[in-house]
Amino acid sequence: MKVQDRRSEIVCKATLAAVLLLGIALLLGGLWGKRQFEAAGFSQENAFSLIHRLSGEVDRLYDRSIAPAVKASGADPAKAGETARTLLNAAWKNEEAVTRALEGVGQDRLTEREFKLLALTYAVNGPKVKTSQRKQLAALPASEQADLLSRTLLSATGNEQPLPEAAEELCKGLEGADRTAMLMQVFLTTANLNGEPLDSNTIAEFKKAVRTDETKITAYSWAAGEKLSWLSQAFSSAGKTFMLIGILLMLDAAVLFFWLLADRHWQLDFKWLIILLIVDFLLVFQVLPTVNMVYRAFFPEGHFSFSTISRLYTYDLNLGALRNTLIAAFCTMVLGTLLAFPLAWLVGRTNLYGRKFFRSLFVLTYMVPPYVGAMAWLRLLNPNVGDINLALRAVFGLGDAPGPLNIYSLPGLIWVLTTFYYPYAFITISRAMEKMDPSLEEASRISGASPIVTVARITFPMMTPSLIAGALLVFISAASCYGIPSIIGAPGRVHTVTTRIIDYVGRGSEGMNDATGLGVFLMVLAVIILYFSDFVVAKRQYITVSGKSTRPNIVDLRKWRIPVTALVSLFAVIVILIPFATILVTSFKVDLGKSLTDPGNFTLNQWSTIFSREEMLESLKNSFIFAMAAATIGIVVACTMSYLLQRTRIRGRKLPDFLITLGSGTPSVAIALSLIMSMRGDFGIDIYKTAYIIIVAYLIKYLMMGMRTVVSAMSQIHVSLEECSQISGATWLKTMFRITGPLVFPSIAAGWFLIFIPCFYELSMTTLLYGNGTKTIGFELYEYWTFTSQPMACAMAIAILTIVVILNFVLNRLTKGEFSI
Amino acid sequence: MATVTIKQVTKAFGDNVVLKEFNETFGDGEFITLLGPSGCGKTTMLRMIAGFEKPTSGEIYIDDQLVSGGNTFVPPEKRSIGMVFQSYAVWPHMNVYDNVAYPLTIKKTPKGEIQERVGKVLDIVHLTQYAKRFPNQLSGGQQQRVALARALVAAPKLLLLDEPLSNLDAKLRESMRFEIKEIQRRLGITVVYVTHDQTEAMAMSDRIFLINRGVVQQSGTPREIYNTPSNQFVADFLGKVDFFKGEAADGRIVLPSLGGQSLAYAGPRAGRVDVAIRPESIYFDPDGPLKGRLEAQYYLGDVDDCRVRVGDALVRVIASGYEYDRLKDGQEVSLGVRDFMVFEDDGLLEQMLEIQT
Repeated sequence: MKVQDRRSEIVCKATLAAVLLLGIALLLGGLWGKRQFEAAGFSQENAFSLIHRLSGEVDRLYDRSIAPAVKASGADPAKAGETARTLLNAAWKNEEAVTRALEGVGQDRLTEREFKLLALTYAVNGPKVKTSQRKQLAALPASEQADLLSRTLLSATGNEQPLPEAAEELCKGLEGADRTAMLMQVFLTTANLNGEPLDSNTIAEFKKAVRTDETKITAYSWAAGEKLSWLSQAFSSAGKTFMLIGILLMLDAAVLFFWLLADRHWQLDFKWLIILLIVDFLLVFQVLPTVNMVYRAFFPEGHFSFSTISRLYTYDLNLGALRNTLIAAFCTMVLGTLLAFPLAWLVGRTNLYGRKFFRSLFVLTYMVPPYVGAMAWLRLLNPNVGDINLALRAVFGLGDAPGPLNIYSLPGLIWVLTTFYYPYAFITISRAMEKMDPSLEEASRISGASPIVTVARITFPMMTPSLIAGALLVFISAASCYGIPSIIGAPGRVHTVTTRIIDYVGRGSEGMNDATGLGVFLMVLAVIILYFSDFVVAKRQYITVSGKSTRPNIVDLRKWRIPVTALVSLFAVIVILIPFATILVTSFKVDLGKSLTDPGNFTLNQWSTIFSREEMLESLKNSFIFAMAAATIGIVVACTMSYLLQRTRIRGRKLPDFLITLGSGTPSVAIALSLIMSMRGDFGIDIYKTAYIIIVAYLIKYLMMGMRTVVSAMSQIHVSLEECSQISGATWLKTMFRITGPLVFPSIAAGWFLIFIPCFYELSMTTLLYGNGTKTIGFELYEYWTFTSQPMACAMAIAILTIVVILNFVLNRLTKGEFSI
Repeated sequence: MATVTIKQVTKAFGDNVVLKEFNETFGDGEFITLLGPSGCGKTTMLRMIAGFEKPTSGEIYIDDQLVSGGNTFVPPEKRSIGMVFQSYAVWPHMNVYDNVAYPLTIKKTPKGEIQERVGKVLDIVHLTQYAKRFPNQLSGGQQQRVALARALVAAPKLLLLDEPLSNLDAKLRESMRFEIKEIQRRLGITVVYVTHDQTEAMAMSDRIFLINRGVVQQSGTPREIYNTPSNQFVADFLGKVDFFKGEAADGRIVLPSLGGQSLAYAGPRAGRVDVAIRPESIYFDPDGPLKGRLEAQYYLGDVDDCRVRVGDALVRVIASGYEYDRLKDGQEVSLGVRDFMVFEDDGLLEQMLEIQT
């Protein structure tokens, strides 16, 4: 026995040492490669920033950032120019136009010009030429079109040429980047005689070309020429990645060493590999970005400074946004909880008519994308044409003045937030309410207290922890919501922290620092709340599931039964029925301002478009793929974690659990922001604007939803059920498949859907993380709503809702009615 | 103190009749136990007395006041009853003192009096030093006593106990059993106690109501029920018993399963009967009427639990511990029967067996 112990100890320590050494080797190798590269006159940061300025930021058309990038690269101008020109030709399919555009430019400025053109070509996300205008342009005779084409291009690229009249008209009122983008659109529109801008496939292809390794290597070789051996090239091009893996390995080895030391039992366990794998993933994609974000907020130029913070938080607009966020979140919390508690009580504990129906109705709201609510209320409470305003004006004879209600205001924002976040409190409270041991209330009754006194002195106080937890959840959800304030706040100039952050990000690289500063505020707020609800309130949680199946006491409402049911129904009609009906009706309208029944105002165009337009289907496909990937990876992790948490006593099993909880408590916008800043190659991982970054973000935010479901199911299954299977001769694996699997399957399915659904319609993170080939349906809807067509967005919203409802039905069927959301 | 009169009470949940025509009066100061297997309706009866359930039909009076029946329904809080729940239902957000003081606070009793009475009742249940503790800092037994103190503090005329000891360990259960009995005796209140544990029922009750599938099988003092059970179920539920099929005729009962051997019988029954013999009524007696072979014996200290093969049947004999070692396995023995019970063979035994298997 002893010899074996000794041997396993030696194996253990040798393995640890090997891992540690490998880590050190990778770290040093990475450092060495980086040094070599720099010695060759090129720095990796520049290479990455070059690539990103070519692909990512160029999207937002900061053409002035291109020139310094090219300069900084110190690239061979001839080669760089050649690449740019190839790309330009590929994009335009019109060599002549490219040549013409570059004519007459001095050799010294040629490369710069080429890149600038390339940047402009990417400018498809700028303001678009409207269809009517496009028709106008297409109607011009061929010769005029050619003239327009060359002159527009020349003036767009800075050759001091007067603009053609048609282009001038379109650019009226636009300045700087927006003007250039519009000019580019005019050019691209006229360049393609069918009147369409470049199709999305070409653009995607085109960007891929810039981002592929081939181009990277090209970029490196511009810089380094032939001076580097293949080894140093490998180490340098992937140097940071090596360093990152090296550091992780060292960390893992150290952690393992301490666990083993604490165990006093030198035996390596396979489970640690899994735990460390999950922890490493979270370290890289969650902890590192978060730390980096906080660091960047306080060390904007590499040294500690409050400059960013103090500048941000003295700026009126930001202060206003901060105040709005806090007021809106606080009021939503109070209103939401005030609504949720009586509703939860009525639905869960009284003989209200249709309790079950109301329960599913209120819970279902939880699964609706918040921006859909914002859209609906916008249609209803628009001060000029909102349906409710029109009705109120007609009834009270208020004349044609706008109002009386105005959705574009702080109270409007609070109202919509409340109608969308009260279900969070409702679910938390009603769950606790239904789990409460009924004899606790009976004991009060038999002690002489009336039902009302019992609610006040027993039920309510016992609910306090759940009430607080629910309220805090509403607070932080409302504070970190982007969808609702972006739709309501922007036109009404009611800014919130989230909308400000996204505005800043939209400004490109210098906006990032400011966005970070605001993001940290949200983070801190979330961490405080998380601490309170998970570690303070949860400790005082009184409700425990009793082993006996309990029938909660049902309070007889007697003569109040009908009036109260009527009141609850009215609430449901106002908060749920009317908004959804509005969205549905709007999706069939031609003219928003007119009634659906007006002649010629009914159309199925929107509906046929959303099922036929290519980008739309592309986005839908993306949403499905991303959400499925996140849900599937997530549920695998969730199952593994549940097993580790519920069935093993292995050291370190709580570490991933803690990180996952922290991740889900972080506001979406902060997660996305931190990922943007850290996943652009600065730390050896470059997944910016790819599908991966979106999936990673979804995972961090929604993994916990799935995990909690599976963990709680697992905790309900007594270990003896598994032990009994093993004693009957089944192997561990067989037991998992035959006993544990089937028992927890409904929860696994539910967990999968709980991750899938919010990912499917996600907006806040996608807004920041999407790239050209990775738009999702949620983002597409948002764009249509803001820039193009509200009825179209409504049709999409109804389509999304339908998909969610169908999925919910599938889930219900799959779990034999045990779960629906 | 209080009497409880139950008149023709029937309770059904939907089509499921859980209690059929319960008709009884519980006397003043009596300790009544409702005993029966789980699902027999005993807890439902208790909850109807408390006012948590309404009878489907029938009436319940506490003293002379109609509390349930017809259009009258007095809610639980107006019945002045004390009750201890199976789960104790000690409120987790109040400390021991507040829990116990609650019934008095509800009645708006003056503060000084509350203090005095809570102090007194905490003293009775030996919890004085725990007054400031919260329930999660108490053991199961202590929580149970908090529940008891809370039920007693308002000096109710009637105390209801719903399996209050089932969550305690065996030792504690035994001591609490006598403590509750002692408190009842001292305060002289009427107690209705629900349990499925026959020992508990025997030890505490003045009268036991044995209920099965919604019907009272027998009521009486523990001694009556044990010694003269009214049917096979009662005999089986209280104590240990072996059943044998027999044929009564001419002052004897022939038992085919015991190889056709017979017992002398002077009772009134004739024809096919069920004979029930308690293992402790059988003893080793060289002159005994039953012949058999000793198959196994289990020494339990105070007694020697033996299995004797008589005919085709295995008969259980509880002999005094002193017999152990004097007898050898496989030895031929004769058994005397001190006492046995005879029931009409009405198929009840088969029904019971069917339910059990």
